[in-house]
Amino acid sequence: MPLLEIEDLHVSFKTMDGVVRAVEGVSLSLDARKTLGVVGESGSGKSVTAQTILGLTRFPNATISGRIMFDGHDLVTMSTDHLRSIRGARIAMIFQDPLSSLHPFFKVGHQIVEAIRVHEDVPRDVARRRTIEALRSVGIPSPEERFDSFPHEMSGGMRQRAMIAMALALRPDILIADEPTTALDVTVQAQVLELIQALRDDFGTAVILITHDLGVVAQMADDVVVMYAGRVLEQASRETLFTEPEHPYTWGLLQSIPRLDAPRTGRLSPIAGSPPSLINVPRGCTFHPRCPYAPPPAFETEPALAPSEPGHLVRCHLPVEERKRLWQSLQNEHPALR
Amino acid sequence: MRRPIAAVAGVASGVLALVAAGCGGGGTTSGVQGASHTLAGGKKGGTITILSNGDVDHLDPGAAYYQFTYAITYVTQRPLLAYKPNSIQPTPDLAASMPTVSNGGRTVTVHIRHGVKFSPPVNREVTSADVKYAIERGFDAAVGNGYAGAYFGVIKGAPTKIVNKVPSISGIQTPDKYTIVFQLTKPSGIFVGALQEPLTAPVPAEYARKYDKGTASSYGDHQVATGPYMVQNNAAGKITGYTPGRQIVLVRNPNWNPKTSWRPAYADKIVFKEGFDPTVGTKQILSGQADANGDFPPPAANLKQILSNPSQKSELEFTPTAGARFVALNTQKAPFTNKYVRMAVAYVLDRNAMRLTRGGAIDGKIATHFIDPSFGNSGFNQAGGYGFNPFPSANNSGDVAKAEAMLKKAGFKSGKYSGPQITQVADNTPPGSNTAAVVANSLQKIGFNVKTISVQHAAMYTRFCGVPKNAPNICPNVGWIADFHEPQADLDANFDGTNILSANNVNWSQLNDPAINKLMAKAKGELNAEKRWAEWGQIDKMITSSAAAIPWLWEASPTLYSTRVTHATELWNGGEPDVSFMSVK
Amino acid sequence: MGAYIVRRTLWAILLLLVVSFLTFVIFNVFPSADPAALRAGRNATPALVHQIRINLGLNKPFYTQFWIYLKGLVEHFNLGYSYYNSESVKSEIFSRMPATISVTVGGFIVWMLIGLPVGIVSAIRPRSILDRVMMGTSLVAISAPVYFLGLVSLFLFAKGTGQLQWFGAAGSYVPITQNVGVWFNSLILPWFTLAAAFAAFYARMTRGNLIETMHEDYIRTARAKGLRESVVITKHGLRAALTPIVTMAGMDIGLLLGGAILTEIVFNIPGIGRYAYDAIVNSDLPAIQGTVLFGAFFIVFANLVVDILYAFLDPRVTYG
Repeated sequence: MPLLEIEDLHVSFKTMDGVVRAVEGVSLSLDARKTLGVVGESGSGKSVTAQTILGLTRFPNATISGRIMFDGHDLVTMSTDHLRSIRGARIAMIFQDPLSSLHPFFKVGHQIVEAIRVHEDVPRDVARRRTIEALRSVGIPSPEERFDSFPHEMSGGMRQRAMIAMALALRPDILIADEPTTALDVTVQAQVLELIQALRDDFGTAVILITHDLGVVAQMADDVVVMYAGRVLEQASRETLFTEPEHPYTWGLLQSIPRLDAPRTGRLSPIAGSPPSLINVPRGCTFHPRCPYAPPPAFETEPALAPSEPGHLVRCHLPVEERKRLWQSLQNEHPALR
Repeated sequence: MRRPIAAVAGVASGVLALVAAGCGGGGTTSGVQGASHTLAGGKKGGTITILSNGDVDHLDPGAAYYQFTYAITYVTQRPLLAYKPNSIQPTPDLAASMPTVSNGGRTVTVHIRHGVKFSPPVNREVTSADVKYAIERGFDAAVGNGYAGAYFGVIKGAPTKIVNKVPSISGIQTPDKYTIVFQLTKPSGIFVGALQEPLTAPVPAEYARKYDKGTASSYGDHQVATGPYMVQNNAAGKITGYTPGRQIVLVRNPNWNPKTSWRPAYADKIVFKEGFDPTVGTKQILSGQADANGDFPPPAANLKQILSNPSQKSELEFTPTAGARFVALNTQKAPFTNKYVRMAVAYVLDRNAMRLTRGGAIDGKIATHFIDPSFGNSGFNQAGGYGFNPFPSANNSGDVAKAEAMLKKAGFKSGKYSGPQITQVADNTPPGSNTAAVVANSLQKIGFNVKTISVQHAAMYTRFCGVPKNAPNICPNVGWIADFHEPQADLDANFDGTNILSANNVNWSQLNDPAINKLMAKAKGELNAEKRWAEWGQIDKMITSSAAAIPWLWEASPTLYSTRVTHATELWNGGEPDVSFMSVK
Repeated sequence: MGAYIVRRTLWAILLLLVVSFLTFVIFNVFPSADPAALRAGRNATPALVHQIRINLGLNKPFYTQFWIYLKGLVEHFNLGYSYYNSESVKSEIFSRMPATISVTVGGFIVWMLIGLPVGIVSAIRPRSILDRVMMGTSLVAISAPVYFLGLVSLFLFAKGTGQLQWFGAAGSYVPITQNVGVWFNSLILPWFTLAAAFAAFYARMTRGNLIETMHEDYIRTARAKGLRESVVITKHGLRAALTPIVTMAGMDIGLLLGGAILTEIVFNIPGIGRYAYDAIVNSDLPAIQGTVLFGAFFIVFANLVVDILYAFLDPRVTYG
């Protein structure tokens, strides 16, 4: 029984320029104690999907349909009041830029205390002690002093740790991490990821890890979902995705990762083109304008998300054998992909 | 001369032409709408409130020189002579009887009343020495009286050099406690009239000397009164009833003896509330929250409304202001050295349009010479009355043809002026700026190219038109109000050639005509009133004909009363309300 | 922080000096009236004008006059004497301060009490009918001149002259020490007239600031923590949105303490603004100097206070 199940989620926003279809028919499921990686470029709909789980996209101009089942309730239709009791307590979220995501005028300790006291009626000093413990547990030195720091007085890494501390203070069932390392230095990135992993293991939290960086996913995810233009293009276990990917987009992502062990003279191979406008989505397969292998049907009809093997879903017109064959030849060309 | 009411820039005063026509033809009093002047039989008690926009200039009677201030000065101080509301001829106030002139006009003797006392804290009886000190301190720069030199400089021993000290003037003699004898250096036709000035109101020397020391006298802040009212003060004599720019409170003078005075003094208290916007103030008077206007006329728009409402109309009185507005031409600078060019200007000026800039016919009669209708038979008629108009034009709008004829006589064959540009220095705010624009416009019709320099009103006087060195060709926004109804006070300062000063000059035309000067010298020494007025009437005609200045408006002031009070308008003081004669109904 | 305050204070003194000097120069260079001639009167003898000129110190070159003025100011805090009525300028200004303070503080309270809630409500429901009505009204209020609003309010509400005789008429101001009731009643119309434009301006600013703030990432975090929307708006949103508003208000108060001239004229309130207006009309240089100096002082002082306040309100701001 999955902990969280998203069924056919559609999210669109009415804007002055037209209707932005941010999420089109996304279905995901997250099991307890598992980590789901959601990968995609900017504008792929991954952040909107994540925020919709907590009802953070309920704007006047938004249209949301589908179901998000959590603990027997549908989060899409749940009242905001009820949803608030879930936010932070059962499902918590951390964001990309901890400097702008923490309130600049309040001390960090105070913001964590607030997160605690909104759900638990504990006296201030108890909350304070718990906050200091939380700060300690994420590896922040001298947490008693750091309690009184303002966000701008901390380093980027420390800030993100504090955010993590705040998110996990109430031991939620699910932690959604929306690009938690993007704004950090490379060295700090690794530390923060390790921290999330450690806490996940200690508290048994399920994690949805959103990133554009396949490297991050390779470390931590149990299952991976690749999103593009608001749709899921491929879904598989981590093992399968990295050894037997079956979507040209996924191939492109894997190819474009710079690798330390690649020859220096080798050029980076990005995916040609740029993501489509979400207002005027291309006909047919949304990826076909950038796909080197697009077959004729891709120009007309959108392919359905279909399993090529149990647990491995792919949205592509190319026949399964064709895909496997193409992947094989790519690997031969680029040994690094193995 | 007294500062006229137009201290508020851009203000229009008004009179109904009807009114002037009704009363002006040769009477002694003129122009005042014969409304409810119940000067006798008023009810005693109550408080009267007068509203003003600005402040008085000086409470010190020795320094006061402003129409509005006089509304307070004359009811708190007793000069030798003063006025009843409806008259322009003075009546003995502190004096027991009119002064007597002897010794060919060189000696003037005045007896003062017995039993007139100073208010607390001085309390004692007034003596002739107090009048002597009062006049002498006017010559001290610390007091700075503006007319002392002009009217009292003729006294023997009056100082010519001004210093910060009260001089002792030998020509003011006090043979006994109640007699003052003035010895003059020459006979003066105006001296007796000048004895109504507040400078002659008694000041107790032993009390005032300490305040008159230094460079600026503070006696005004500690003054005592001799009139029926006094500015409220404390036991030590310090004035508590004056908050500058805010209000002045007059209370009864406990030492005033009504038997010594012809003022009825009905009200118990008079409050002058200052700082009012004219529109707001007018509304307050109409609604009965205040009783009369002190230094602003109701705006023209309000006047029209009031005149169309019969119950309100009866509360409005119009008083001709003793003088005229005129355009001064600089006779010492080309082209106005040439009398024909000046006459061309006199012909072409559109006086009707100029009057329109101040509100139109509601504002007064078009002036055709200088002595105005309020003088009645003491100069106005002698100057030709309404009939004397040497530069007539249809509807007073100017006559281009006649102007061109004058220019031809001046040597401009085409009839249009072809000389260099001329300049005028004008007010930079309406209505003065608008009037100046009409002047420039009129002159353009006969070929003048007029450059207008716009400056602040006071700067126009003190830095340009009043300084011959800086004076332009035309000063279009000047005018004069006589200090009292002697024609000399109306014409001397502006047109006497011996009176041109290098600074603070008021002979703006710099007119220096030997014939006029000669006749003026004669008239100044003329002790016979009838002869004197005839001579000044003649002088007025001569000045007008010379076109050194072109008069265009005999203005009148509207006084608006509330229905709460009776009316008492000072004809001699440009329509100020006389609070010693007003009573609460 | 201490060093910062000292530095700012020194700059402020320099600024006041410059302002004072400029006023002096303007008065002496541009054609303005001759005070000695005005004081002497139009019929005065040249001897009198001359002596008065000496008494007023006007015969000295203007930089000497300025030096004398400065000395008097620094040594005795003497602002000179009015050319118009010889009263001490300092005592005149001080006696008028309570009235100006009354107008300013009261107006401030009114405009904040109106402007902030209107701005907040408009920000919470942007582009709703309520928002459009409120912003439209505020545009009108900003555009209507104080003089016009003042006269209209007197016409409508003033005792004695108005259609509905609810509030004190022009000129009814008395000091608070004299009669609290009358003092209060006389200030209601001036407060609302003065506050109209400010309230409108602050409403628009608050709306703009709050809308922008509500788009910040930390607001999203606050919601994600499960906070109630009202808490998100007030504690997290307003705290950040209002900080610049508070500092602006401080500046406006400083400005108004120099005298809300038009309001004081229309309602006949004997404050510093009124005094400044009369001084200009009468070419009264010492009084003009005094009011300019006071006005500049309040603005400079308010500026300093507001900057220091900002450091306390926004922890990211520090002064070396």
